[in-house]
Amino acid sequence: MATQTKQVTDFGTDLHLDGGWQQYWLGFLRLVVGWWFFHSGFTKLLADGLSYTYGPVYLKGMTGTALGPIPVWMGENLAWAIEPGVPVFETLIGLGLMAGVLTRLACAGGVFFMTLFWVGNADFGHGLVNGDLMGLLLFLTLGILAAGRYYGLDAYIEKTEFVRTHPRLRYLLG
Amino acid sequence: MTLDINDMDLLDRAAMLVGTGLMAVGVVVLGLVETLAGEPYGAAPLTNEAGEVVATPMIDPNIRVGLVVLGLVVLAADGLYKLVRATPETDEAENATAVTQ
Repeated sequence: MATQTKQVTDFGTDLHLDGGWQQYWLGFLRLVVGWWFFHSGFTKLLADGLSYTYGPVYLKGMTGTALGPIPVWMGENLAWAIEPGVPVFETLIGLGLMAGVLTRLACAGGVFFMTLFWVGNADFGHGLVNGDLMGLLLFLTLGILAAGRYYGLDAYIEKTEFVRTHPRLRYLLG
Repeated sequence: MTLDINDMDLLDRAAMLVGTGLMAVGVVVLGLVETLAGEPYGAAPLTNEAGEVVATPMIDPNIRVGLVVLGLVVLAADGLYKLVRATPETDEAENATAVTQ
């Protein structure tokens, strides 16, 4: 049975997910978002191996965006890291989310990728809110809600003595 | 099991409000301004069948996107701050605070 409790704080009320649909849905959402990135990265690995040459090309094409010269500079100077990095990190982000391991770190990586996709694709014909921004917000949401704690391995990892003695890890797990 | 959103100090709350505030201004507030300013209602130039631009957004989309990215940067900075701040001592103190609230 789904239950939820509210805790009153000096800044309003915080919602706690104690079971049922909310936890299940967060776990399901994490699985689907993880598959999205895993599929994207793994198929790049299958097709191009560690030489995803479109990555630097895409960044070089990001002229006149809100990110200024940063992506173009990255495309021109970091191609050696971007070509293998895009498929590898997309795959790892996907695996991390699906298994619920290092979920917040994976979500931070997903936000980084989706920011570049959102700004770079710049398909704003129907407004700023498009599929790329929704993907970005999904990663933010999963990270903020620590979705790896629901049906994810982070729930167990966080209980280990190592994490208890290294609480910084809670902000990479969760 | 509780969410870490309870573990907030003044800086966290400021970052939360500023970060999400910048994102809300970029997407919603300026989106409303853009809509009320007339065509194009979106954030891209309006073209005719010949592909000629017949109307451009009143607000440069880069400004709106920039505000959202800035908001993300604020949230990321807060995340890093929480990461750096966390120690076994602060962790125990926060748990104790959460229990007594």
